[in-house]
Amino acid sequence: MTDKLSEPGIILLVEDEPDDARLLMRAFQRAGVQNHVRHLTRGDTALAYLQGLPPWDNRSENPLPILMILDLKLPGMTGLELLCWLRQQRQLRRIPVLVFTGEKDQSYMGPAYDAGANSYLRKPADSAEIERVVSLIKNYWLVLNEAPLVVGPVS
Amino acid sequence: MGPLAEVILLVEDESSDAHLLQRAFQKAQVPARIIRVANGDEAIAYLTGREPWNRRQHPLPGIIMMDIKLPRRSGFEVLEWLRDQEALRRIPVVMLSSSPLPHDVNRAYDLGANSYLTKPQDPEKFVRLACAFRDYWLCTNVDPAV
Repeated sequence: MTDKLSEPGIILLVEDEPDDARLLMRAFQRAGVQNHVRHLTRGDTALAYLQGLPPWDNRSENPLPILMILDLKLPGMTGLELLCWLRQQRQLRRIPVLVFTGEKDQSYMGPAYDAGANSYLRKPADSAEIERVVSLIKNYWLVLNEAPLVVGPVS
Repeated sequence: MGPLAEVILLVEDESSDAHLLQRAFQKAQVPARIIRVANGDEAIAYLTGREPWNRRQHPLPGIIMMDIKLPRRSGFEVLEWLRDQEALRRIPVVMLSSSPLPHDVNRAYDLGANSYLTKPQDPEKFVRLACAFRDYWLCTNVDPAV
C-alpha cells in the first residue's frame, strides 16, 4: 500500500474516440486520481508502448502501467488482439486490464474474458455515469485491489 | 449494467472470517445469496453440481470469492482447475487472502484471478470491502454469460 501512495504508477488508457477519452480524462481528474494517465489512441501504438519501442524506449519516462483501460474497437490492432498478446508476455501478462467498450453486441464479452480481461465495463452514455464508473475504478483498482508486480519473479 | 449475481460462492475455511464477510455483505445489503464452502474440494464439488449441490437449488455463482490457504485443494489449485473448465472458466474470481506477499499476488494473477484483495483487520473494514465489492462487481462489471 505504501508503494502505491509514494509513487503511483501510471494508467494506460487506450481509446480512439476523442469524446470518450476527454470525458474519461476529466473524470480521473475530478475523482482526484493521482496516477498519471497516459492516453494512446491506437492498438498498434499501445503495443509499441508496452514493448518499449521508440519513441517510448525510455522506461523511466514511459513506465509500464499498473492498470490498463482498453477499448475494443481500435485502429491498427483491436483491443482483443492486444489483450491476447499481452497475456502471453512473461513480463507484462499480469497487468490488470479493464475492457471499456461501447460495444452493445454481447458476443465480444466472452472472448474478452477468455483472453484474460480482469473486468468488462460498458461505456456509460452520459458524463455523470462515466464519473461514477471512474470513481469506482479508483476505489476498487487503485485503493482496494492488490496490484501484481509487473516486472518480477515468474512463478 | 449487468444484472446482480444471484449467488456468490465464498470459499473460506476460517469460520470467523467467513462469518465476518457474511455479516459485512448483509450490512452492505448485497441481495445475492452467499453460499459458503470450507475447502477446495467442496468448491469443486459445488461448481460441478455434485451431490449435495444439485444445480436446481445451487445455481452457478456469478462471482467467486476465494481464500488461498485452504485445506485439501488450495485456492490456487481450484483457480487453475476452474480456468480449464470450458463451461466455468469465465466466472470472475476475486482472491481474498491475509497475505499480500508479492509471490502469492503474482501467482494468483498468473493463474487467472480477476482481482486480489487482502483481508481487512476489523469488522468495519470488512463492511467497507463488501460495499466496494458490491459497487464494482455486482453493480458495474458486466458478468460473462457463463
